[in-house]
Amino acid sequence: MTAPLLDVRDLTVTINRDGRLITALDKVSFSVDPGEVLGIVGESGAGKSITGAAIIDLLVPPLKRTGGTIALAGERLDQLAPKAMRRVRGDRIGFIFQDPMTSLNPVITIGRQLCDTIEAHLKISGDGAKKKALEWIERVGLPNPDVQFKRYPHQLSGGMRQRIVIALALCANPALVIADEPTTALDVSVQAHILQLMRDLHRESKTSMMLITHDLGVIAKMADRVAVLYAGRVAEISPVNELFNAPKHPYTHGLIRATPMPSVNGEVRLDQIPGAMPGLGAVPPGCAFNPRCFKAEGDCCSAVPPLTIRESVAFSCFHPLEKEIA
Amino acid sequence: MSGRDFLTLNHVSKVYRRNQSLLERLKKNNTGGTKAVSDVSLTVRHGETLGLVGESGCGKSTLARLVSGLMEPTSGEIAFRRDAAGKMPRLQMIFQDPYSSLNGRWMIEDIIAEPIRVHKLRRGRAAIRARVDELLVQVGLSPADAEKYPQEFSGGQRQRICIARALAGEPEFLILDEPTSALDVSVQAQILNLLRDLQKNLALTSLFITHNLSVVRIMADRIGVMYLGELVEEAPSEELFLRPRHPYTRLLIDAAPDMDTSDRTLHPIAGELPNPAFPPSGCRFHTRCPFAKDVCRSTTPPQKTSGADGMFRCHFDLDLSNGQAILPAAKARTA
Repeated sequence: MTAPLLDVRDLTVTINRDGRLITALDKVSFSVDPGEVLGIVGESGAGKSITGAAIIDLLVPPLKRTGGTIALAGERLDQLAPKAMRRVRGDRIGFIFQDPMTSLNPVITIGRQLCDTIEAHLKISGDGAKKKALEWIERVGLPNPDVQFKRYPHQLSGGMRQRIVIALALCANPALVIADEPTTALDVSVQAHILQLMRDLHRESKTSMMLITHDLGVIAKMADRVAVLYAGRVAEISPVNELFNAPKHPYTHGLIRATPMPSVNGEVRLDQIPGAMPGLGAVPPGCAFNPRCFKAEGDCCSAVPPLTIRESVAFSCFHPLEKEIA
Repeated sequence: MSGRDFLTLNHVSKVYRRNQSLLERLKKNNTGGTKAVSDVSLTVRHGETLGLVGESGCGKSTLARLVSGLMEPTSGEIAFRRDAAGKMPRLQMIFQDPYSSLNGRWMIEDIIAEPIRVHKLRRGRAAIRARVDELLVQVGLSPADAEKYPQEFSGGQRQRICIARALAGEPEFLILDEPTSALDVSVQAQILNLLRDLQKNLALTSLFITHNLSVVRIMADRIGVMYLGELVEEAPSEELFLRPRHPYTRLLIDAAPDMDTSDRTLHPIAGELPNPAFPPSGCRFHTRCPFAKDVCRSTTPPQKTSGADGMFRCHFDLDLSNGQAILPAAKARTA
């Protein structure tokens, strides 16, 4: 067994709202192995994006990391000084944001933005950086790199912009890439292109990836292992096959059944989960999912189920589903 | 218009013009502008749900606005079935974003009561309030919610309020413009099930617009696929998924990632969506179509009928029922 590249233990993030502390992430633990794609899935408000931001210390106040450890290749990121953390960002951890419109500077050409990033992280300058930038524009599949180099973000389509954002995240050869909803703002036909590009680049570079998304279809195609978050806690972490074919946590099961998706025989089913995810600070006692769960019993309402590890899967549930109850 | 036809669109087009200079207006230069909807003809029958799918910029929301009368078509005509007195059917619309489509300063009671008052469907405070309570129960909320404000509700609950408001006008025709795309998966399933029940119980005729093919497959009886302002294919729901006739429909079905973890191949559509302001010549899909030949680049494809009541616009009669059939051609084009 290899040592994980990224090891997150008991990560806790709180919001200070007028002196009242509200837990946004509650003891989230997971790890990413070298070369692995870890999918992080959940509905809005589950804490997916906060997890990504907390790892590279980009939480916006009033969000604050209040506990837990984050280790990248054995080095404790949570203890680094802000200045040292700056060197980690972009250098060893790349970040792909959701909205390609707002994650590029609109008044600087994309060539300049690429060169700046390369110069800052790779210690090459001038012509060397430009050559590298042109290489990257070509690698992410944009035609005529020389022309694209001089263009501004508004002159590119959404899909092309997202390709540039991917180039920016990967150009410093990071050990880990965190992709936060990289295709959510894109159309279906463009989404498949971007996913294909990310998969190709991932295979070439052997970079580890954390893929944050709410789309189970994207998870099914891209992830090796999947962590399911619910109300700021880890509900289940499983290899992708197990997750879809034999989910352990009732929430995972419900989420899969609620996604409108034709099954193999062409039939379309749609099973809803009653209720809605509790808001911040309104998490019920015990298991956060208990008011919506069809398997909930007395113990679910009194104690928070711990993360139980069984072979390759981990789940936090007192009454896990045993086999697929199709 | 035959007996069952509820709404007919006859060669409807809508051109968005940019602001013209005085000189251009004097010269009566009418060439500029983006053709958002181009020569769309379709029929919605009584009691049926017609789904419209397409990617952004394909003109589906523009079409909804044209049908609702919020905009005038540039050319073509939109005709509703009129009753014996010659009155138009009542029409309501449900919008995508439940956060911006409810007035935060109004109580839920007033929001839902407004269409009742405007259309004078009930008289007297007590009768209106009773109707509001009934509607709230119908959409899965409680009468006690009538005294609250929109911001006290979650996204899914707000969308239920929007549905109650639409139903308050006792519509015969409902336009739903991406009603669940702003919602989470588990909540989306609730709203879709609610809409499905309401359609069944109230015998509503509706136009359901979405970019999500799985959603439209669940909701619609017939589906129209739009690409760059044109309706490229229209067919009964299951027929469209099992035997698509237009290459774009086939590629669109395959492009959305499903939850099958055993086959992890992705199926991107070659190329990018062209700028709708400058659509390609001939068949608008030829720049991305794996089957494109010379004729596609020069000639607009004719409208052909398929099955009992379907149509598609393609020069060729392709058998696209098997998703794999298109793959080698698509691969060759991407490479």
